[in-house]
Amino acid sequence: METNKPGRGFWVTTAILAVISIAGALYFWLMPSVQPWLPPEGGHPGDQVDWLFRFMASAAAVLYTFVVGYVIYFAIAYRRRRGDPPDALGVHVHDNTKLEIAWTVVPTLFVIVLSILSIKIWYVLQVQPTNGLVVESIGRQWYFTFRYPNVNGEVTDAMHLPVNMPVTLNLTSDDVIHSFWVPDMRLKADMIPGMINTIRFTPTRVGRYQIICTEFCGTGHSTMEKQTMVVQPMPAYLAWYHDWQQRNAHVSNAPPTVTSGTIALAGGNVAAGRALFSQKCSACHALGPFEQRIVGPGLRGVLHDASHPNLVDGDEATPADVAKILQNGFTGSMGHMPNQAQNGLSNKDIANLVAYLNTLK
Amino acid sequence: MSVIAEHGGIAEHIHPEPQGFVRKYIFSLDHKIIGIQYIITAFVFFVLAGCLAEIIRIQLMHANGGFVTANTYDEVYSIHGSAMVWLVIIPMLTGGFGNFVMPLQLGARDVAFPWLNMISFWIFPISGLMLFSSFLMGAPVAGWTEYPPMSLQGGAGTSMWCAAIFLVGVSSTLTGINFLVTMLKMRAPGMTFTRMPLFCWGQFATAPLLMIATTALAAALAALFMERQFGVPFYDPTKGGSPVLWQHMFWFYSHPAVYIMILPAFGIMSEVISVFSRKPIFGYRLIAFSSAAIALAGFMVWAHHMFTSGIAPYMQLPFMVLTFVIAVPTGVKIFSWLATMWGGKIHLTTSMLFALGFLVLFTFGGISGVFLAAIPFDLHVHGTYFIPAHLHFVLVGGSLMGIFSGMYYWFPKMTGRYLSEFWGRMHFALFVIGFLGTFLPMHWLGAEGMPRRVASYDPQFQGVNQLESLFSFIMTAAILIFFVNMLYSIRNGKRAGHNPWGARTLEWQIPSPPPYYNFKHIPSVFGLPYDFTEPLPYTHLEDELTDEPVTVGAH
Amino acid sequence: MAVVSIPGGGEVDQLYAETRELRLQGFLLFLVSDVVLFSSFIFAYLYLRNSGQGWPPPGITRPSISLAAVNSAILFGSGATMHYALENFKRGNFLRYSSLMLWTILLGILFLCGQGIEYTTLYVQDHVSWAGSGIFGASFFTLTGMHGFHVFCGVCYLIVLLLQSVHGVYDKNKYFGLTAGTLYWHFVDVIWVVLFSIFYLI
Repeated sequence: METNKPGRGFWVTTAILAVISIAGALYFWLMPSVQPWLPPEGGHPGDQVDWLFRFMASAAAVLYTFVVGYVIYFAIAYRRRRGDPPDALGVHVHDNTKLEIAWTVVPTLFVIVLSILSIKIWYVLQVQPTNGLVVESIGRQWYFTFRYPNVNGEVTDAMHLPVNMPVTLNLTSDDVIHSFWVPDMRLKADMIPGMINTIRFTPTRVGRYQIICTEFCGTGHSTMEKQTMVVQPMPAYLAWYHDWQQRNAHVSNAPPTVTSGTIALAGGNVAAGRALFSQKCSACHALGPFEQRIVGPGLRGVLHDASHPNLVDGDEATPADVAKILQNGFTGSMGHMPNQAQNGLSNKDIANLVAYLNTLK
Repeated sequence: MSVIAEHGGIAEHIHPEPQGFVRKYIFSLDHKIIGIQYIITAFVFFVLAGCLAEIIRIQLMHANGGFVTANTYDEVYSIHGSAMVWLVIIPMLTGGFGNFVMPLQLGARDVAFPWLNMISFWIFPISGLMLFSSFLMGAPVAGWTEYPPMSLQGGAGTSMWCAAIFLVGVSSTLTGINFLVTMLKMRAPGMTFTRMPLFCWGQFATAPLLMIATTALAAALAALFMERQFGVPFYDPTKGGSPVLWQHMFWFYSHPAVYIMILPAFGIMSEVISVFSRKPIFGYRLIAFSSAAIALAGFMVWAHHMFTSGIAPYMQLPFMVLTFVIAVPTGVKIFSWLATMWGGKIHLTTSMLFALGFLVLFTFGGISGVFLAAIPFDLHVHGTYFIPAHLHFVLVGGSLMGIFSGMYYWFPKMTGRYLSEFWGRMHFALFVIGFLGTFLPMHWLGAEGMPRRVASYDPQFQGVNQLESLFSFIMTAAILIFFVNMLYSIRNGKRAGHNPWGARTLEWQIPSPPPYYNFKHIPSVFGLPYDFTEPLPYTHLEDELTDEPVTVGAH
Repeated sequence: MAVVSIPGGGEVDQLYAETRELRLQGFLLFLVSDVVLFSSFIFAYLYLRNSGQGWPPPGITRPSISLAAVNSAILFGSGATMHYALENFKRGNFLRYSSLMLWTILLGILFLCGQGIEYTTLYVQDHVSWAGSGIFGASFFTLTGMHGFHVFCGVCYLIVLLLQSVHGVYDKNKYFGLTAGTLYWHFVDVIWVVLFSIFYLI
């Protein structure tokens, strides 16, 4: 091919690539649902995100089809063939100003269009209604808690929301950076200690959605995805809500206060300790022998195990030293155990836990 | 008053040849030896970091993990990422290829500051040893990005990480200064900027990034170190500090860092695609200036890594738009390379195959980058497997493919022997297949709900993860083939002459491997090296390939 | 070897002139990267200061401007003496050059003593420490400490240069070391202008 102009093969290939790329673009634009590419959408403004995804995927289908198509076509059509002289050269074109202007201007125009569309959708995210339910979530290692208006203390386990009501979700953390993500809602914000970040959305589909932490927060990060956001019709939601109001009626509304100093262990309540263990410790500690590790060692024999006379921090396995490790936390070869403040334990809580652990043999 | 710009080139004489094994090969001042030292060292760290990658993939074959503990797993991916970025890709592309090729292409005898070059190199393996030694003292666990407050906790390994990266950053900064002065002042007579080869343009765009961005990282690391070791509060919110401050300081470096990792690879693409298409690079000026544009714009987009961190919404917008804008000069390059292929007489050598692979894989990574630039979409996939998917497409499908392409291309110049083309094709085929199987599904995993940096995950994703791990073993096999090829061919490869590829840049007009003095006579340059129909645009090259003895003191 | 003329009427061989140009550019780029280092910490300081806690943070007494103003005058004075030292060297007035260099070194040491007094006053009187006074102590001591370290290195460098010039290493055509020292010293001055403004003036 010695002319400076593309030949028939090039135009035929271009036509074929145009057909394929338009088919790809149409597929992304017109597909009835964003599944299987994205989870089914659960609310506003997540649907806007999906619209943007469709737009970008359609454009990408066009661009990528042409790039890959030309790479393959050129590599085959313009390859050096066996019969060619060894020093055969290609067509000596250094540049083509019109073409270069075109492929600078057209992408720039596309970038402008994409910017405008993205800004529009971004703006929709900013102006979501604020006149609905205001909920807080606090990230800790390694679970989420929630605070609702007129409910004392914190709601643990699942987060319930009424369907079709705008939600203002204020997020923060008590220890390290976490992140709050519900894939079906398409929104995410980091939970940063010392800051409050806000997500505003309206769930429109009843269902149970996973809440996933997407910022590394320690050895338990992988496990910080077990809680759910439950979107319910208003009556069911209200029933759940009233239930928590009652449950927490006598709970202090202040954040868990933490004091330090030597912890008085006398009078520790075993039942309260058992409940606390199940809520706060069982994610990382099994009720089994030392070797049964989840993250930290099994704790069934922690105070009565002759084969393990010392705790992992080197201290003797006595109630006072167990209290101390609960107070200060510990970082060692098994990972990081949060301290009293990070676990949200008061001195009384620690006494209760120690009393419970002391009953395990 | 500039003495040099008036006539171009340095009035430097040929020095006496260095004597003794230590002077020649250990503490060498020769940019070619230093370049090879960088390449070898970077490949050693590549193997180590690659083993860490396979530990990751084996762990992820089971949804509940179990191959290593969660804490070990966290250490493994943190060091994997840190090592690949700072001990493999950046040193390989700048200290390695930049050192070996750039002075030759400029028609110079060496870089501007050979002593500084040697020191820059030796810092590198020391800092690498420091980084890996952190495993012995509780390696960092919060990824290569080490966000506080997580990075304020934990064993001494995180402080060691700070020190190691700080040190290798010093090496980078010195290299950037060295290269910048070399390219500004030591081009051969007649080599204006618009006659400089595009590989050098890639290095020229990268050098200011090395110099300026790396120092910003040094400040961030120093502050983290001081906070960890002495309790000086910068990032701890309970003491008035700000975790987001770290993110700003870290990403202000680390975004330009990704351009450090790709711009030299772009330069390699321009050389390889032109030579193996047997026609001029299409759109030389646009490619050259787009490299500079990308380098400059690269400083202005760092907060696109922080869209979920809570910076003021209106402040996020410029970062989104500018990131979109960077796609334009990048796209221009891709189109120019395609146009270079059109109408060519393409030799599908292994080097060229890797260049074609680059075009296919890097473009995909660039497109996923545009997706990520759109704030609404990023809010969905940030912190999920979509991010490692994107970053591996651009860094492996881009930078690493560029490195492989450059190795097959310049190995004959460095050693005087070819790498085996047959095993090269095997390497290419297995690598691309393995790569696609490992990293393409990750986009879907992330969008569907798999977070990143997890030692265990939701069982619904296990099948895909197992598939990815199996394909990663294919990639490992490909890389093993490559290493065997290299080790074998150094001694037993087919002998190559001075210009096995028929290229026109200056490094191909002297013997393979080049003599210590590079050129018997510094050539003069009077044209671009990309026109294959013209005679070579150089003078004074007549004696380079002859047995004409060289006189110490000659010019 | 060809010779080139240099400003001032002297002549040097071409290779020296060219390598001098390389070294000058390399040294300037090194100063640029040092500026980036300070700028990063200055950004951190301004970012933290703006993070809404009010300034100074509760419980912190800001250092008074008077000592710092005197210290600044000392440092800027040393910049002037350094400038004239180099000028005199170029003109061949070796005695005047060495006395001005000595003045520069002494003023630099005096500045460091002034900083020492400032630090001690802050610590003993106002109980402001590097690690124990929140972001104020962190940013103030880190930035001024970095600067003081640069001054210290500069003083050492100037002493070395003075000794070298006494031993005849430089002559009025070849004195790149002295040029580099002067540039470095002025750089240290410029950084101090910024630090003084952001810590004492605003």
